Amino acid sequence: MTSTSAPAIAVENLSIRYGTVTAVETISFTVDAGQQLTLLGPSGCGKTSTLRAVAGLEKPTAGTIRIGRRTVFDGSKGLNIPAEQRGMSMVFQSYAIWPHMTVFDNVAYGLRVRNESGAALKEKVHYALELVKMGPYAERNASALSGGQQQRVALARAIAFSPSVILFDEPLSNLDAKLRSEMRIELRELQRRLGVTSLYVTHDLEEALAMSDRIVVMRTGLAEQSGTPAEIYDYPRTEFVADFIGSANLVSGEVVESDARAGTVVIRTAGGNVVHGVTHGRPVGPRGTLSIRTVHFTLAAKSEAGATNVWPARIIRSVFLGDLTQVHLDWGGQEIVVRQIGPPVAAAGEVAWLNAAPSQCALLEAGR
Amino acid sequence: MAAVGGVESQPALPDFRARVRLMEMVAMATIVATVAFLTLYPIYYLLQASFDVGLPDTRPPTAYGIANYAKLLDYPAIIWNTLLVTFAATAMALVFGFMAAWILTRTNVPFRRALDQLMTVPYYVTPLLGALAWSFLGAPESGFVNQVWRKLGGTEALIDMTSPFGIAWVMALFEGSVAYVMISAVMQSMDPALEEASQVMGASRRRTMWRITLPLVMPGVLGAAIFVFAEMLGSFAVPLVLGTPARFYVITTAIYHFISQYPPRIPLAAAMGVSLFAVMFAMLWLYRWLTSRTSYVTVTGKAFRPRLMDMGGLRWWLFGIVAFYVFLSAVLPVATLAYAASQKIAVAFPAAANFTLEHFRQALSINAVRVAMWNSLILGAVTATLGVAITGMLAWIILRSKIPGRGALEYLAMFPQAVPRLVFAFGMMWAWLVFPLPIYGTFWVLLIAYLTVFMPLGVRAISGVILQLDKSLDECGQVCGASFLYRLRTITAPLLRPGLLAAWLLIFVASVRELGASILLMGPDSKVMTPAIVEAWFSTSSELTAAMALIQTLVIALVILAFGLLTRRVAHHGAGAQ
Repeated sequence: MTSTSAPAIAVENLSIRYGTVTAVETISFTVDAGQQLTLLGPSGCGKTSTLRAVAGLEKPTAGTIRIGRRTVFDGSKGLNIPAEQRGMSMVFQSYAIWPHMTVFDNVAYGLRVRNESGAALKEKVHYALELVKMGPYAERNASALSGGQQQRVALARAIAFSPSVILFDEPLSNLDAKLRSEMRIELRELQRRLGVTSLYVTHDLEEALAMSDRIVVMRTGLAEQSGTPAEIYDYPRTEFVADFIGSANLVSGEVVESDARAGTVVIRTAGGNVVHGVTHGRPVGPRGTLSIRTVHFTLAAKSEAGATNVWPARIIRSVFLGDLTQVHLDWGGQEIVVRQIGPPVAAAGEVAWLNAAPSQCALLEAGR
Repeated sequence: MAAVGGVESQPALPDFRARVRLMEMVAMATIVATVAFLTLYPIYYLLQASFDVGLPDTRPPTAYGIANYAKLLDYPAIIWNTLLVTFAATAMALVFGFMAAWILTRTNVPFRRALDQLMTVPYYVTPLLGALAWSFLGAPESGFVNQVWRKLGGTEALIDMTSPFGIAWVMALFEGSVAYVMISAVMQSMDPALEEASQVMGASRRRTMWRITLPLVMPGVLGAAIFVFAEMLGSFAVPLVLGTPARFYVITTAIYHFISQYPPRIPLAAAMGVSLFAVMFAMLWLYRWLTSRTSYVTVTGKAFRPRLMDMGGLRWWLFGIVAFYVFLSAVLPVATLAYAASQKIAVAFPAAANFTLEHFRQALSINAVRVAMWNSLILGAVTATLGVAITGMLAWIILRSKIPGRGALEYLAMFPQAVPRLVFAFGMMWAWLVFPLPIYGTFWVLLIAYLTVFMPLGVRAISGVILQLDKSLDECGQVCGASFLYRLRTITAPLLRPGLLAAWLLIFVASVRELGASILLMGPDSKVMTPAIVEAWFSTSSELTAAMALIQTLVIALVILAFGLLTRRVAHHGAGAQ
């Protein structure tokens, strides 16, 4: 259908406004063929509007959208190809399973639109239903399905006619936690197996990390950071991303030393602690904030004297979380949260030695 | 009802619990018996009368038989007229309602919210006022439209409101607003993603329309059609005003005719009433069955924001269509009556000297009119107040209690909906004539009639409010240790207040403009306004009648306005509490 050399989806300077309300200020990204890109962000950040604009269900104010080599929207030329001519597929948050049809008819819909019929149609529908393990349900009435089953049928319907691009609008958000984590893996496997390009929208961090090739973190209509899941997780660009990704300690202070070539930076906090970190290519100002993940700290009962990034801290309390133990420490007047495996090295009120590798202390850019 | 809370709050005293349970059962039995008496007692006498083939004017009947029903076949014209008018009116009302619903829920028509509000205005204008006004506009000889038409060179009458289609037209204009409310609710309850899914998967707009949209809204539209048909079948005011002078009878006006002529033909009228009631009952049962069985759309009860189609320049035309409907059903009738009432003799092209305020002065000075208006307002206020209390209690028992028998109670309370008010009042009249309590011909019988016929209205309105109220709000108060009455005062009542006030206004307006029941049950000393207007139409000048109808509409409008201003603070307070 489309060439594989060009990016399968290319969105450039897209902006969406409704009257005076700006849903998407401006956003650009590309998705390579066979890859999955996730738009991640809190509600109201414009991720769903962006997805719907790609689908053709929402009319953007400006920018361009290309699917393969075909331009489907161009604000400056007034080009806006309607959704039904964009040749995509989509899984909706509410599943949008047609209640007046059987499961089979739901899944067959896209094929019938493409004038398929007879044995070929039947075979493709059953193949799609088998893929989502809903084979025995073909003749069921769609209105008699559970949420999880509807989800699977929606997925089968979306893949049945072998589209090259599938859009996912928070498809797992209405499932319970256990089913969600199962479907996360299944969906990822399926996407890989079919080699289909997908654009995925979610507010769920774990979902984004587990399923995506690339992630764009959005905030109030703008891309806050884009990168691989590991990049986003390890090197959040701004305080917002670090906070949204969660479980990070933010440590601020004046910059006392920095080496642009080595990419290192040293800050001194208000409490007098000196912290060595990495700039990750980010600009260094007179003050800096480092993000250190809770799991990247280690606690020791004793320490080598004068080592880098080793500080005494008083244990305030520890909380048993099952797999992990969460320890809260008083670190020169600031509270630091550490998560570690096994019991804490000291009791509450005692002093322990806190350590973090400088490479795990990433400098943030000033937020907006 | 206080017992409901008491059951859980005293778990340690089984003896007390048993006593509470017993009291609860006794209270419930009393309530069911009262509601059953109110709704079924008149129907019993109606049935009795319809099978009465004994000596005339002797009660109880001396012989029973089906001769009265057989006699119905002697009046094929009435059956044919009824079917013709009902089908034509239903079809037109559905077209109006469907078009307006589609325009207002699915297109980017300008001023959508204002139009949506305006679409409910015809309901307040009332079919009676509409019939009076359209009679001025479209009577074959004197109708304003026909006068203008002749002035323009036409020879025949352009429109004839006394014809079956004229009657159907006026009925449809006012029922269209009901159809609109029902159909737009169906359209709003459809998840827009259902259509979007079809579109994204490559289906053309036409395919989406035929395969997805129509199949999904059809059951709801069909339900609305049956409901509207049943309503039209029982409609009385329009055929009475427009048809009777031309001796064109539908079943309701025929029943009225047979009751009020001398000598009255009660058994025949009763047989007609029972037949009409049977058909309506079947229709409403069908409606219930259809909407409960195939309503995949409304299954969540959630209102979605449908996707609005961009209609480009066409949207102003669509605006024009809806605005024109509101003009025909609300603005034009009121304007016409004002125009007619302010002339000595109403014509389309009056001389300056023809204008007068005499009719208004006269309408306000006739003692009978003033008394009737006053009676209507008092009766309306009492009905609304008692009605909200009674139907509120019924709705609460039906929806929130676990007392056995509440299902039966629901059926009994909703039963009067299936009976045209005229027929119901006929049964009441016949019943109360022989009841040992001498209230026939007094306000009491009108009050009882209003409370009974508007019971479904109240129960439905208040049920909607109760259903919106999350059960856990009350349960939370219970866990906090509040007694039932304390919770009622601090949680339930404040949250229900806006809904209860709305229900009060609904019942008040319905009572003040009530015609079908009042026309049979009012006595010489218990005149109310709407039947007085109809009497004036047939016995005095039509200009005076127009003035009376306008005054009634104005008074109702003022009450609604005053009520709105008075309760805005209360309603706001109530909403704030949520």
